[in-house]
Amino acid sequence: MLDVYIQTLLSGLAVGGVYALIALGFSITFTTTKTLNFAQGEFISFGAFVGVTVLLLLSGLASATTAVPGEAAAGWRYPAAVIVAGVVAGFMGILIFLLAVRPFAGKGGMNWVMSTIGFGVILQSLGLAVWGPAPVMVPSPLGDDVLRIGGAGVRPQELLVLACAILIMLALDLVMRRSRIGKAMMAVAHSPQTASLMGINVTLVMVGAFALSSGLAGVAGVLIAPIASASLFMGMGFALKAFSGAIIGGLNNPRGCIYGGFILGVFESAVGLWQAQWREIVVFGLIILVLAFRPAGLFGQAAVDKV
Amino acid sequence: MTPKNAALKAILLSGALAVSSAAYAQEIKIGFNGDLSASPSAQSGQAGVLGIQAAIDDINAAGGVLGRKLTLVVRDDLSQPPKSIQNMSDLIDNEKVVAVLGPTNSGNALAWKHIPNQKKNPSIGCIGSATDITKPGSANAENYMFRVSMVDRAQVAGLIAYAKNNPSTKKVGFLVETTGYGQGGLKDLQELAEAKGLKSVAVEKFGVNDTDMTSQLNKMKAAGVDTVLVWAQGTPIGQLVRSMEKIDYFPLTLTSWSSDNASFFDTAGKALAEKPIFMRTITEDRTPKQQQLYDRLAPKMASKSAFSFAAHCYDALMITAAAIKQAGSTDGAKMREALENLQAPVEGIMKTYNKPFSPAEHEALTAADYRWTRWKDGKLVSYSDDVVKALKPSDFAQ
Repeated sequence: MLDVYIQTLLSGLAVGGVYALIALGFSITFTTTKTLNFAQGEFISFGAFVGVTVLLLLSGLASATTAVPGEAAAGWRYPAAVIVAGVVAGFMGILIFLLAVRPFAGKGGMNWVMSTIGFGVILQSLGLAVWGPAPVMVPSPLGDDVLRIGGAGVRPQELLVLACAILIMLALDLVMRRSRIGKAMMAVAHSPQTASLMGINVTLVMVGAFALSSGLAGVAGVLIAPIASASLFMGMGFALKAFSGAIIGGLNNPRGCIYGGFILGVFESAVGLWQAQWREIVVFGLIILVLAFRPAGLFGQAAVDKV
Repeated sequence: MTPKNAALKAILLSGALAVSSAAYAQEIKIGFNGDLSASPSAQSGQAGVLGIQAAIDDINAAGGVLGRKLTLVVRDDLSQPPKSIQNMSDLIDNEKVVAVLGPTNSGNALAWKHIPNQKKNPSIGCIGSATDITKPGSANAENYMFRVSMVDRAQVAGLIAYAKNNPSTKKVGFLVETTGYGQGGLKDLQELAEAKGLKSVAVEKFGVNDTDMTSQLNKMKAAGVDTVLVWAQGTPIGQLVRSMEKIDYFPLTLTSWSSDNASFFDTAGKALAEKPIFMRTITEDRTPKQQQLYDRLAPKMASKSAFSFAAHCYDALMITAAAIKQAGSTDGAKMREALENLQAPVEGIMKTYNKPFSPAEHEALTAADYRWTRWKDGKLVSYSDDVVKALKPSDFAQ
């Protein structure tokens, strides 16, 4: 029976790592601009297909229609694909900020909700025109053999996602708390007006936040692709769960978002052990409970409006 | 279609009419309404259109029907029910097609099946497999929905019969996805299992985008399940066999025909793809006629495993043409009567159809036309064992 619990925990952590990474992206734009990128899901899918394209270009291999040949991910090609996807998605993040968020950021109203969703729909439609509707299986750079840990099975890519998620999150945590850029971001988050008076280029910080958050989504896309297969429809589900994770952890606390993502992943996995069809009901029930008793999330600071 | 496209098309059409108005007025229009670009099943729609066009070319080369040429009007429904409904009205009212073939997605057919019935315009399904598509709105109502494809319930009957007659099956479990497809399949599984006295000891569900089903499988394992009946789409079945490998638990796996998808094969990988056994209409051991059509269409097909839809749709068009010929007219009501009582046999790709439809039966292909299939060395091959050989037509009774 122990192996079943280890299996549940490992599976939950692997999925939770993905949620945490994307949840962190939500948190970054929310803390600096008080807006969210509701196209985050499409950025994940988009990033995955940019990764697929890079793998094929670098390896010079032709794609079978629905699968990238295994050797295309060998050596340095996969890391290169991750980086390129991150950079391209980051660039798209700058675009979405300039076109769909900036006109509305910091103002009342919810215009940015619609405009970011719209941007995502456009991105998905463009993706369909370029890459077509079929899901594409992406090979893992570490191979596909099941590793046994304490009687439980896990694939190398799942461990890789977990490791990457933790590394990226530690690095960002360090940057946010120790560097000037991080401090500037926190200042903008606290009050754009004051930050501006202190000589901080507020717009630049906001652009940076969107680029970073979108870049993370792109990176996540390439990391998930060998597990979920790259599909232009795959991002929505992950983004919704990641957003739920962020809400559970506390949207205005990057660390909380990460914990929230992991909590949600393990929780989902555990509910599956009981009644899988109840999973969504239990997960979203939990979110409502959290919101009712801790409106700012489990790790979030209560928002106190100072006058 | 955008208004701009419509305008452009109107101009082009009026030009064509001016040149050969007599010949144009003579043409009989057939419509196709289905997903060609938006969902993972779009490849089936694309293959279907290729099959219909091939049949139209063959008929036109032989002089057409009633001395008139056939033409195909294609509408992409982007797998969205509202768009699909809109396409039906556009095809029937504006384009004046005499029959509509398709659609790709079962849900879309269920969304508009009242339209062909109201407008008395026959619709011949050749891709979507949901059981209810060809059910009449009420008993004895005139029913314009026909099908030349697989039917979910007939497949389920096959899987249940296999599990029931397999001597090494002691405990069965049902595993389905939480979409409409999975739930519809579960309903069929439970009803037919009960009717045949087969008892399931576990029922588990998973999401269509799930990447890890180890929790559900561990419960099946704990319940001692040795045979699982799976109703889900290609990609999640692929994830399911991958999860089986994680916990090293491989019960006998009988699945819906979604396992024939390239997306299943790619997700599962070559070795794990050989686990499930399922039913489909065409394996890679093709008949000479099937091979001929395959060779003709293969260069144009993005996904070779979607060939069966091209064959179904080819036959659907042939049967439609036979109905027009017998009715001596393109009037919808007369065509329906002819379809329900076809006198001459229709030579198709799947088989020769002798009275494929009757007022009570609107399915041209039945369980007897299905083949047991599994993946072997990356190919879809016929599967046979002692259980399959011993199955009798009566075992497939629904």
